[in-house]
Order: sequence, then C-alpha cells, then structure tokens
Amino acid sequence: MIHIATFHAHIGAIRCKRDCERAGWKARLMPVPRSLSSSCGTCVRYEGDRLYPCREMPEELEQIATERDGKYVTLYRAEEGEEAWKALSD
Amino acid sequence: MTNKRETRIILLAGALIGLIAALLVPLGNPGNMGFCIACFLRDTAGALKLHSAAAVQYIRPEIMGLVLGSFLLALLRGEFKPRGGSSPATRFILGFFVMIGCLMFLGCPFRMILRLAGGDLNALAGLIGFAAGILVGVYFLNKGYSLKRSYTLSLSEGLSLPTISIVLLILLLAVSGLLAFTEAGGGPGGAHAPIWVSLAAGLVVGALAQYTRLCMVGGIRDLVLFRETKLLSGFAAVFVAALMMNLILHLGGRASFFVSFEGQPVSHTDFLWNALGMALVGLGCVLLGGCPLRQLVLAGEGNTDSTMAVLGLVCGAAFAHNLGLASSGAGPTLNGKIAVAIGLATVLLIAVMNTFQKGKK
Repeated sequence: MIHIATFHAHIGAIRCKRDCERAGWKARLMPVPRSLSSSCGTCVRYEGDRLYPCREMPEELEQIATERDGKYVTLYRAEEGEEAWKALSD
Repeated sequence: MTNKRETRIILLAGALIGLIAALLVPLGNPGNMGFCIACFLRDTAGALKLHSAAAVQYIRPEIMGLVLGSFLLALLRGEFKPRGGSSPATRFILGFFVMIGCLMFLGCPFRMILRLAGGDLNALAGLIGFAAGILVGVYFLNKGYSLKRSYTLSLSEGLSLPTISIVLLILLLAVSGLLAFTEAGGGPGGAHAPIWVSLAAGLVVGALAQYTRLCMVGGIRDLVLFRETKLLSGFAAVFVAALMMNLILHLGGRASFFVSFEGQPVSHTDFLWNALGMALVGLGCVLLGGCPLRQLVLAGEGNTDSTMAVLGLVCGAAFAHNLGLASSGAGPTLNGKIAVAIGLATVLLIAVMNTFQKGKK
C-alpha cells in the first residue's frame, strides 16, 4: 500500500525515509502535494504493508495519508494521539 | 491534483502575479516595485511612526490585501487553521534580520525578481547571494534543523494578523490624520497606486499565493532538495510576465525600461553588499520556512508562527531606518554593513543551535 507521511520539519521526513529503507520499503522524499495540505514542507512517499515502518509515533509526524482513486485520504493525524496511533500501527 | 496540473496552475498564477506587479508601477507605485513585501512593511511601519524616515511612510494596502486574500481563500477552502508555538521568539529574530538583509539590498525576493524583470542588473548580485544563502540553509535542513512542531491554537490567535490588517485599512481610510505620509515626490513612500487598486491587487495576489503556495525561497529549496521545479516555475513565470509587460508598457510610452547597473529605481550598485544582504535573506527565509510573501500568506491562513516572523520584519524595518542601517540609491551605510554581518552571525548561530542539539535522535 502506498502511504504519504507529512512532517512538521524536514528532519522528520529524513528519519522516516531512513526507517523505511531499514525495513526494506521503497521510499522517496518529495514536496507535500498541494491537494494534501496548504503547507509546503517535505513528505515521504513509501510502500509498505503497515502504516509506518516503526511502532513508536515519530515526534515530527503531522499526518499519514494514502492514495485512493487518484485522491489522498488521511489515515492518521498527530492530533489523534498515541491511542489512535497504537490501534492503527498494530 | 496531479503534479502536471499543479505546475500548470502555478505557471498561470505566477504569470498573472507578474502582470499585476508590472501594471502597479504605471498606476503609481515606485519603479520595479509593483510589489515588495519588505519595502511595503517598511513604509507601513513609517506611516505608523515606528520610524521617522520621511521618504518611506505610507500604509500599503497591498500588504493588507495579501493577508486578507489568503485569509478569505483559506476560509473558503477549509484551510484556515490557527496554529503556532514553534519557537516564536526565534522566528521574530529571524524575521528581524531578514528585513535587515532586504533593506541592505533594497527589496525582498519578490522585488528582486521584479527588479530583474525591469532590467536592473544589480539584482543579479542579489540572486547569487540569495541562492547561496538558500544552499547554506538547505545544508542545515539536511543536518536536522528544526524549530520544533507547531500546535493547534485558539481562533483568536489565528485571527490576529487578518484583524490587524482590517484595523490598518480602517486607519488608512477613516483616520489617516493620525498617520505619517510621505508627500508626493518626497520619496518612494509618496509613490503609490490608488488605494482600491492596491487593495484589489493584494487580494488577488494573496489568494493566488495561498492557492499555489508560491514562495520565492521554496522554489530554489525544492530544486536543491528534490530536483523539483514546480515552485521555481512560478518564480520564473512572475519574471517572464513582468518582463513582457514592462516591455509593452515601455513601447507604449507608459513606463521606461532599460537594462543597466546604473540609474535603476530604488537600487544601488554595490555588488558585494547586494549579494550579502540577500544571502542573509535566503538563509533566514529557509530557516523560517518561506519568503516574506509566504509569511504573510501563512499568517492569513492562521499560522501565528508566521505572524511572529511578520512582526519581526516590521520591527527590523523600524530599527533599520531609526539606526541608519537601510541602504539608499547612494549605496549601503557602514551601520548597515555591520548590521548585516551581525545578522549573518546571529542567523548562523540560530541554525547551529537548532541543528546540532544534545540528546537529539
């Protein structure tokens, strides 16, 4: 499944890409797509069988979305907190 | 929205912004200054008597229009989100020194493009410095620079700069006697398009910049980080459209266009300090996450971190004119050179302190 993770800071995206590569997932850094957010930071597009390559919620994470029928659908926002993260990432 | 469609839209928006900016000059704005976020914030600070440089005092409705255009479109699209708390004091200081750099060069990155499109070759020195500053900023981004995350805030926080913009418009329209204004012919502050034209131009450009996320810093940053030219294409479209409109206006006898270093409006020919001023701007803006135009647009979307940067820009403008730091057509001042050197050192220190922190993962 293709995911796109956006971050509050560029370093969050760099760490995410590194974690994806450690998990053997394909990942690349890119600018945040306009239809996903009005912010112009960095995101990571990755292909993996889980929501995120590591179990702990990354500090800089903003949201994780996926592509469905050419549109982005948000799966998780940092505001939803640790409980929602655990439920989704298990 | 696909990447190709995003690129087409940003090209169209950039072209429209370039045309509007070029047209504002024959309508009354100073030469090659259809838009200049730094100059217009400086003029507004002067009108509010935050500084006493008589040549640069006027509340520029373009600024209010930019904030409100972004605010209204963000509201319509459900993108108005009050957020903040990401190192606000640091952002204020960065904004302050970005303004010091802008007033060394005599323009923000937006005006740098408009100066190039007006044939001002001094802006090439600015562009070289600007790109160098961005490259240094990208180095810190890749090494882990972060001003920490932002948080959801109250509606009143998010509304702060849009509200200030409305209050400034009311002051301009209803109680202008309280304000200071440069007289016609008394300097750049005395040259301006009619209020409603300026406001409409600001509203349109603010909305377009919100929709496309146009950013003069983001273009070069994305090219270096991702080999992605989308934002840079907007930057190029502003240049091409403004250049073409300047040529048409010149041929029609409505404006003068000439390619030179000497004799360009509101500029000086000191290559080194033009470059160093814009290097400070490029670095400071990467650390802030966007150019001065982008800070106004983000503040319109409810981002109070950007509001802090804008307040820093205004404060920097007031200091620059009160302490003789701003350049003029005669060139940079000694005080200005010292301030840019202090600015570069301070901004580098901020970059280092927020990149190489103990205990960071």
